[in-house]
Amino acid sequence: MSDRTERLLHIFIESFMPLLKAGLLFTVPLTLISFALGLALAIATALVRLSDFRALAELARFYVWIIRGTPLLVQLFIIFYGLPSIGITIDAFPAAVIGFTLSVGAYGSEIIRAAIISIPRGQWEAAYSLGQTRLTTLRRIILPQAARVSVPPLSNSFISLVKDTSLAATVTLTEMFRKGQEITATVYEPLLIYCEVALIYLMLCTVLSALQHRLERYYERYHAK
Amino acid sequence: MMLEVQNLTKSFGDASVLNGIDLQLEQGHVLVIIGPSGSGKSTLLRCLNVLETPTSGTIAIGAQRIRFEPGSKPKHAEVLLLRRQTGMVFQAYHLFPHMTALQNVMEGQITALRRTKTEAETRALSLLEKVGLTDKADAYPHQLSGGQQQRVGIARAMSIDPKLLLFDEPTSALDPELVREVLKVIRQLAAEGRTMIIVTHEMRFARDVADRIMLIDDGVIVEEGPPEQLFGSPRHERTRQFLSKLSENYN
Repeated sequence: MSDRTERLLHIFIESFMPLLKAGLLFTVPLTLISFALGLALAIATALVRLSDFRALAELARFYVWIIRGTPLLVQLFIIFYGLPSIGITIDAFPAAVIGFTLSVGAYGSEIIRAAIISIPRGQWEAAYSLGQTRLTTLRRIILPQAARVSVPPLSNSFISLVKDTSLAATVTLTEMFRKGQEITATVYEPLLIYCEVALIYLMLCTVLSALQHRLERYYERYHAK
Repeated sequence: MMLEVQNLTKSFGDASVLNGIDLQLEQGHVLVIIGPSGSGKSTLLRCLNVLETPTSGTIAIGAQRIRFEPGSKPKHAEVLLLRRQTGMVFQAYHLFPHMTALQNVMEGQITALRRTKTEAETRALSLLEKVGLTDKADAYPHQLSGGQQQRVGIARAMSIDPKLLLFDEPTSALDPELVREVLKVIRQLAAEGRTMIIVTHEMRFARDVADRIMLIDDGVIVEEGPPEQLFGSPRHERTRQFLSKLSENYN
């Protein structure tokens, strides 16, 4: 083995644990927290938009319009670098959580809204005919079916989010990508280190895709192929 | 009277679908509604449990009475109470696909009647036995034939102990060989003295099961009477036309 190869191998092994650690300590929690909060926001936004409360529905539309119409990177900069000038200073991690949650909430609300609309009218009528209220019908009949329809597109959002969290590097959060930048600055092997970072993202996303597959299988139990 | 409907009207925008329906039904009687498609017979049925909100008129089922007036919405609580007096069987079954047959029949009992799970399950099992599907209790709707799904639909409609059962063309979506098993269940319910309103195109069945038959056309009741009279010696020209058209289709 040449000295060069040996050195690269050594750097690869030496940097793997710090990168993985940054991933497990920041990338993964940032993804999970933002997605959980974002999903709750998405469901609330979708329901408000489908409700009879005109003013709230308009507000929800406005929120989705703003978030989808502006770059996520710009949103993060506004939250982290912009807000302090009006006296609102937020630490890097919560700032990133806010940014990603708002993003998941906006895109997710459209997925969930579409899924709810896709459930046949007859399901509502059958539930109403049993004397169920609108809210009970939504909770017990419509949302469980909408959840099944939403799994593939929401998984897409989830996997995108894993990778989007690398944007948090720009607001000083030392998640996996920024850790990679730091290591690169000391060992001067950008090709190796960034490929290694990419590899760990790929590993994370592969695990998630497998989970998605299992979730889809679970929902297939009541659905004819 | 179990059911009393007075001067019921329903319009969708400018189109008026029901033009002043008066209807009474005694406990234990079976009323079959026939009529050409688009005559308003399904709309009438759907108005009775307020899946469509009538434009005007009064509906009373048992002790529950709602008066509808143009431009005003009935109170939701009153609508719920009225709905719980009726059980609806749909043409396309509309079973809940994410629940087993048993869970479908338990659902209304748990949410609307607030029965315990154990109570609901006991009742659901006895209803599934009544429609001959005890062995399918744990099957999901997609694992059942159309006839079996509709029998679960009937059990589900009965699960909230309604005073009145409504059937909206219960066999129209079924393959001919599956129609019989569903009609058999409905006949059995009629024999037990259930109060029912059935919209159907199955004339032989209608003749067998009905205490009274009603022909609706253009949103009004054309003729009403016992089956022997309506089929044997109809008084109205329009009834004769409708019946002869049906027999042409069958021959």
